[in-house]
Amino acid sequence: LTALDFVLLQLLQHTHINLYRSTMAPFRTHNQQQNSRNAAGGPGLAMMPPIIHSSEGPVMAKADTIDHGVTEAPYERGFSPYEFNGGTTLAIAGPDYAVVAADTRLSSGYEILSRDVSKLHALTDRCVLGSAGCKTDVDQLRSVLDIKQKIYHHNHRKQMSTPSVAQMLGNTLYYKRFFPYYAFNVLGGVDAEGKGAVYSYDAIGSFERTPFSATGSGQAYIIPLLDNVIGHKNRADEKRELPAEEVVEIVKDAFVTAGERDIYTGDSVEIMVITAEGIQTTTFDLKRD
Amino acid sequence: MSILEYNGAAMIAMAGKDCVGIAADRRLGIQAQTVSTDFTKVFKMNDTIHVGLGGLATDVQTLHNILKFRMGLYELREEREMTPQVFSHLLSTLLYEKRFGPYFVEPIVAGLDAKTNKPFLSSMDLIGAPVQTKDFVVSGTCTGNLYGMCETLYKPDLEPDALFETLAQALLASVDRDALSGWGGVVHIITKDGVTTRELKGRQD
Repeated sequence: LTALDFVLLQLLQHTHINLYRSTMAPFRTHNQQQNSRNAAGGPGLAMMPPIIHSSEGPVMAKADTIDHGVTEAPYERGFSPYEFNGGTTLAIAGPDYAVVAADTRLSSGYEILSRDVSKLHALTDRCVLGSAGCKTDVDQLRSVLDIKQKIYHHNHRKQMSTPSVAQMLGNTLYYKRFFPYYAFNVLGGVDAEGKGAVYSYDAIGSFERTPFSATGSGQAYIIPLLDNVIGHKNRADEKRELPAEEVVEIVKDAFVTAGERDIYTGDSVEIMVITAEGIQTTTFDLKRD
Repeated sequence: MSILEYNGAAMIAMAGKDCVGIAADRRLGIQAQTVSTDFTKVFKMNDTIHVGLGGLATDVQTLHNILKFRMGLYELREEREMTPQVFSHLLSTLLYEKRFGPYFVEPIVAGLDAKTNKPFLSSMDLIGAPVQTKDFVVSGTCTGNLYGMCETLYKPDLEPDALFETLAQALLASVDRDALSGWGGVVHIITKDGVTTRELKGRQD
């Protein structure tokens, strides 16, 4: 813009405001006309600083800076990058197997977005990741892990073992320590010796190998039950080793319970049993309310 | 930090075949600090009614005294014992009277109808909104855990001994995953023949 353009622009704005004033004159009160900045001989319309509409009412911003509601007239911003899409996941380790299960409901607030979305993802032939939380973060996390796993497989000419996947997941989550993946994970699989392995995580990558794990909206309903039945806590009878079929029945009971009391859990459960031979998947219907 | 979580509590009441059971933990704390390991939260009001008061300990004790007083007045005037339904309704009204300055207690009522021996269970929020159920009611700082355990372990028409086992396992497993409740438990089983009280030995932490 040349200096001439600038002068022409000001002239245009000046004409515009005068036209506005002459049209609105019969509707403006005497006070308004008196208080009009032009009448007071102040700076022209083009130089008027913006009005910020804060939670305390409209405020004139400082003429030379735009504060964006940071130090002056602070206002609330309503955007959150996270959303909770619901669901519960569960994993139990046995002597030579692991069971990983998750419900298939995707929700947002009080609405159900889908009754048939899987929360389980097989990262290798011997290892399944179950994640509840924010679906987009879960999907992104899976993509990242898949890629890293592929690169490992390419470089080492073998699949990652379950403890290695566990470590990789922990590191990947901590990588985003200050803008976390809103994903609550359980990892289940068989380790290099063929024994069942389950790892529990928090959202920023703290993890631990545990005999069982449950996470998501229904975890409070399920964890004490697993303590009692799988962990054999507070029990006087003798502890016995549970076969995979019995553990699957316990898992079904646990999800029926969670489905009853948690609004975000229901529709159906996907159950994967992982052994040294591979992964077997079954589904089990829950109440759809 | 909610005022209802200041002292810590866990309680369950469950119905069986012609019997009811009510169980609670024994801890009294001041936030993280444990102060007593034998604090009573379940009170016998008469031969057929037990009430569990979980929440702020001062209100637990005050409400217990008020209820004793009101029951006494009722028995003087009516010349008969209070039934569980009437007791539950009395408690609900008492709590709502303090609608805008409530007692911080979420009670559960377990009773047996004297004539029919049918179980009666009810629970309320701190301003007296009542709910009656046929299976079980829970209250305290670990209701998620308690609901999960009860929902899974409950079967209708349990005999008194089986009911005791169910209540004991449900309570102990739930309080072991809650920092504010635990330090043992107490279970009362009420039948037409009387009340059997047993102490539970659990994790002392």
